[in-house]
Order: sequence, then structure tokens, then C-alpha cells
Amino acid sequence: MIDFELTQNEKKLQQDLAAFCQREIAPAAANLDQAPRKEVAALVRKNIEKLANAGFLAVGFENDTIDMIRQYIAAEEIAKECASTFFSARASAFLCGGLIFMYGTSQQKEKYLEGLKGANVIGAFAYTEPGAGSDISGIETTAASQGDAWIINGVKDTVTNAPIADMFLVLAYTDINAGPEKGLSLFIVEKDTAGLSIGEPLDTMGMRGVPIAQVELNQCKSSQILGGEPGRGFMQLSRILELGRVSIAGMCVGIGSACMEKATQHAKTRKAFGREIGKYQEVGFKLADMYTNNDLGRALALRAAWAFNTEENEAEILASCAKVFAGEGLSKIANLAMQVFAGHGYIKGADIERLFRDAKIGEMIEGTTEVQRMLIAKNELDKFAQT
Amino acid sequence: MDFIFTDEQKMFRETVYRYGKEEIAPLCEDADLNGEFNFEIWNKLGEMGLLGLPFPEELGGSGADIVTCCLAGEALGHAGVDGGHMLALGAHTYLCAATLNTFGTQEQKEKYIPKLATGEWIGCMGLTEPGAGSDAAGLRTTAVKKGDKYILNGSKTFITNAPVAQVMVVYATLDRAQKHQGITAFIVEKDNPGFTTGQPFHKMGCRCSTTSEVFLEDCEVPLENCLGGEYKGWTMALSSVEWDRSTLLAPFFGTALYSLDECARYANERQQFGRPIKSFQAVQHRIANMKIFAEAAKLAIYRVASSKDNGQLLNPLQAAVNKMYVGDEGCNMATDSVMIHGGYGFMHEYPVERNYRDSRLGTIGGGTSDIMRMIVSRMMLM
Repeated sequence: MIDFELTQNEKKLQQDLAAFCQREIAPAAANLDQAPRKEVAALVRKNIEKLANAGFLAVGFENDTIDMIRQYIAAEEIAKECASTFFSARASAFLCGGLIFMYGTSQQKEKYLEGLKGANVIGAFAYTEPGAGSDISGIETTAASQGDAWIINGVKDTVTNAPIADMFLVLAYTDINAGPEKGLSLFIVEKDTAGLSIGEPLDTMGMRGVPIAQVELNQCKSSQILGGEPGRGFMQLSRILELGRVSIAGMCVGIGSACMEKATQHAKTRKAFGREIGKYQEVGFKLADMYTNNDLGRALALRAAWAFNTEENEAEILASCAKVFAGEGLSKIANLAMQVFAGHGYIKGADIERLFRDAKIGEMIEGTTEVQRMLIAKNELDKFAQT
Repeated sequence: MDFIFTDEQKMFRETVYRYGKEEIAPLCEDADLNGEFNFEIWNKLGEMGLLGLPFPEELGGSGADIVTCCLAGEALGHAGVDGGHMLALGAHTYLCAATLNTFGTQEQKEKYIPKLATGEWIGCMGLTEPGAGSDAAGLRTTAVKKGDKYILNGSKTFITNAPVAQVMVVYATLDRAQKHQGITAFIVEKDNPGFTTGQPFHKMGCRCSTTSEVFLEDCEVPLENCLGGEYKGWTMALSSVEWDRSTLLAPFFGTALYSLDECARYANERQQFGRPIKSFQAVQHRIANMKIFAEAAKLAIYRVASSKDNGQLLNPLQAAVNKMYVGDEGCNMATDSVMIHGGYGFMHEYPVERNYRDSRLGTIGGGTSDIMRMIVSRMMLM
């Protein structure tokens, strides 16, 4: 029977997370944004450790499969207070931790999983390259077999967490002739491996608390293929990114909530022509549009999360719908919120100025909205394909 | 959390969908072209029990929950039944009969619901007036108690089903000084002295529902036809309108599903520049948007509907979000459907043309999108 209510446990998780993040994570958000690039690494690492110590880093990993509803809740609540912290924590615990949780050999799990969940190990997922993003089959990194090990060569750019990572999951072709679906593999590469070099932290427009850098692999040796066998990288990568659409949508809703709450508060207190600006329809209706976008973005993301948890057929497509809706919704929300603040929002140091810059990431990261629409449209069009 | 309909609900939806597709949709194109309320369609809806779904079985209904009622509306829209007949159903079942069923006395229910549930009688609801639309509390129709009757005076407009209805729930004020608190509901039959209706309006969309003015000139209503008690009308109107923000919207959502199917089919078949138009990203973009809309609209509608079934209080924010989103975006989807069909989409033979006109009502009837934004913003600012 249709029921939209979260369970008591889920509500409790939401409340506990909200209280914790307001107390422990929010105060550092502005500093993470403005601190010199070199200091960001230590600051965000500290936040990730705080989440781990409170038991909020690997939410949803309690059972045999990842609980995406709990993941969603964590995404929204953490990102609402500091999107950078969430994004960096997620790259380690969910992307790397999730891949090892789902596909790692027992030995790989033993070696890395608890570390990733407890923030003793920080992970980075290195798959994008200068010439291959949405079309991941175009990567040029290769791994050549040498006895029991593999020799990896290639360049990965925009690797989240690279400056703070202890281990990397690196996507490479083990057999380029087999094509992406059978020829790609994910390797575990530790940071002190010979031939691995991390570039200078990149300076970004938003999400400035996320340490990002280029990673070069020059004759890097790894004997650890995720899951033990080559040729499964594409499936593994696709799966974690499909699930990840839910938490990216959650992050968008979290940032959107922050924008909306700040704009609403401003509209209640700021006066013009003798009354609160929220009472003018030009402002009030903007609040309503912000609410609608955020509310339905959350509903769609939870819908997709539930679909993953119950193994529904169209779960991936629902997740794409949620990511597009919440990502584009957030861009609209941030834009409207900035407009409600007008000049005072535009000044460096204003919360809304930071949120506005952070907001754009939702439409781009882990499958642009353009790529999500390609997937959604194909799914619908194929239902009527002529044979 | 649970997003799956029960097996019974799924089977019911499938049955209604097939029935709508085979028995009703083929009659809709001509009816829409001529702007006619089609009694054959009405009777078919009645025979299938679709006009009395939410009412108790002993009164001729099916005792269906709100989710099931929405599924019926969705299925009929998805089957290609036009917005006009769906609007007639909505005004009849939800605005008129459901109000009677919720607020009526046992005698009132026994007198009216069985006839309304089968469609033998048609019902309508009169709230809107020439000077009171979004601001319905400003209505001017008066009711005065005189002996064993109420005497009603005033006029109502945009009353869906009025030209074909036998019974009407009318909102009038017993005391204008009390503003909305003076409003009271009455059951008026078309044969009551002083009740007349105007010529049906020619509408842009939903053309098969008949809509006209209603004139009440010293209209006599027996005392026992006061509905829900004196001075209780405003709360009744609000409560019925709020729940209707799920049941009346479901057909609009169903129509969007119909359009999505039609567009996906057409995009596969239609060839230009030597390839099916589905290979063009501008077409794919629109198809993807329709799917995203379909998923979001479904959640918006069934969130409101299921909360009632699950015994929760209505969340007015959710009801307003639902109305605004399904209304506004439904229009955008209808525009995209026409664009995918190009010149053919501009022709009456293609139902996407009709949907384009019908969908506009989603942003107007039952509270405009502007009013919904007003509700949401006021609640946010509280």
C-alpha cells in the first residue's frame, strides 16, 4: 500500500544527523570555502573523521546491501550544512567503500572496508580523464599484466580526494580489444605506490572544501583488481554511479534546503516599502517555487532509493529522473534565493553566495543532466521500438 | 515507505484502462470536435461504476479508497479519454456527490447518492461567481430563511455540468457581514422554482463538459436541503477542494502518460533526414522531460491521496505543490507533445492537439497556480 512516511528509525536518523551536523559540521563550512587551498585538505579530513566518530560516515552499510534510503537521508542532512564535507566524505566512504563493500574480495574487505568506514583510510575514485568523462569508454589508462601484478599507466584528472587519499580505485583497460564492458577493470592503488603522483589541488568555483587534483600513474604496480578478476570494472563503476545518483540528488536537496531556509528567513525580516518583502508576490512566489522544486526533488530521490532497496526494474531510470530534477531544481533554487537576497547575497562571505557557487555541481557531476536525459529517453523510446 | 500499489489496485487500473481505451476513447474525438457532452460516454462510465467509486456500497458505490479513485482517473486519462468528460466526472463525483456523502444527513445521502453513483442523475457544484473566483469567500449569493424554505438569490458562473445536472450543491451566504463565516451549502434541484441555467460556454479546452452560468432568482430550497449545517459552508468548501487536489488532477496526469506513449511511438515511426526522429536529441530531451514529469507528478498526486487513505491530516503544502506542479508542468508537457508531432500535432486528428488545449485547465480550475503559490508562500512565511 502506498505510504510516503519514513520509518521511526529513519526519522530518528534524520533528526540525529541534523542535530549533529548543525553542531559539528556547519560551523566549518564558510572556512572550508575560503581557506587557502593547501589548508583545505586537513580541514575536510577532520570533518570526515568527525562524521566517522559519530557513526555517520557509512550510513546505510548496516546490512548485506547498501540501504539507499538511509544514504539519501545522510546526503541531505550533511550537505545541507556543508556540501563539500558531504561530497568528500561520500567519495571515500560511499564510492570507494561501497565498491569494496559490494564487489571486494574478502581479503580486500578486510584490508580496506573498516578503514574507509571509520575514516582511518580515505579513498579516492579515479576514473575520469582529460579526454573521457560521461563517455567513460574513452579512457586511455591501461593496465598490463606482469606476473601476478598489473602495471598501470595513465592520467586521471579532477579526482575528488586525491590530495588526502590513502588509497585509490583506478579505472584502467586490462584488455582494450575486449571493449569497455569486458575490458575495463578497477584497481586498488595505495598512495605510496611507486609511480603514483598527485598534482597540486585544483581551484574550483564552488564546492571549494573538496580537495581535488590530478593523478598520474607511471608504471604503477598493483596486484589488486577489485573483486579479484579483470573485466568487471565497467559493471562495477556503472552500478556505484547509478546508486550514487540518489545521494547526489540528496546533496542537491540539502543545498536547496539551506538556500530556501536562508531566503525564507530573509524574506520574513527584510522590509521594503513598509512591509516584509516576503509579503510581495514577486518574493513570496519565488519561495513557493523553491519549495516545490525541493519538495518534489526529495520525493523523487526517495522514490528511487526505495526502488533500489526493493530491486525494482526501473530503479536506475528513477534515479536518473531524481538526479536531473534535483540538480536542475537546485540551480533554480539557488538562483531564486540569490535574487531574494539581492545585493547582500552577492557579497563574498554571504552564505548564499557560497551556496550559489556550490549549487551548479548537481547538474554536472557523475553524469551530466544531458547524459541522464539520454538514458531516460532511451528507456522510454525503446518501449515502442519497431522490430 | 512503500511505493507499490496493491495487486487489487493494479488490476483495477488495468481493467479501467482497457475499458477506457476500447469503449470510451474512440468516441471522444468527435465529441470534442463538436463540443458535445456525450451521454453514451456518461452511461458507459456509470455502467462500469466509475461515477460512484468512493461511495458506500449500500448507497450504490464501490467503497473505493482515494488512491483507487485517482487510479481510475489516471487510467481513463492514460487510455485517451478527453479532459472534458473527465472534468464532468470530477465535478459530478467529487465536487457534488462526495460533498453530499461527507456532509449530508442519512436522508440526504439516501435520496441523492444512489442516483448520482450510477450517473442516472448528474451533479454539479456552485461556488464561483462572476465577482468571486480565486477569492471565493467574497461570494454574493444570499440565502434567507423564510417559513419552511430558504430563498436563494444570486448567480454562479463557470459551473461544470450545470446544463445537464439534476442536482447542485450551492454555496450561499446567510449573512454577508460575517464574510466567509456566513457561507452555507444547500442542495438545489433543477426543478426547484427559481433555478435556471445559461447557455453552455464555448471553452478553449475540456470542451465536452458543459459549463454555464446558474441563476437563482427567489429560488426556493426546502429547509431539509441545507447541507452540513448553517454557517458551515466555508470549511466544507475548503475541505472538499483540498482533497480534490488529488482526485481531480489524476486525469491530467493520466493524459500526460497518454502523451508520453504517443510521442514515444511517433518518434520511433516518424522518419526525417533518413532516420527516425527519436535519434535527434531535441526529441529525446522532450521525451526525457515527459518521463521525469510523469514520475514526479505521480508522487505528488499519490502522496496527497494516500495520506487521506492512511488516516493522516491533509498537508496543505503537499496539496498545493501537487496542484501547481501537475498544472503548470502538465502544460509544458502538452506543448512538448505538440512539438514532437510537428504539423500533425497542430491537427485535430492527433489527440496531442486536444491535450494541449485541455491541459491548460490544470493551471486554472480548482485554485489557480497563483493561488497555490500564495498558499505555499504564506505557510513558509508563518
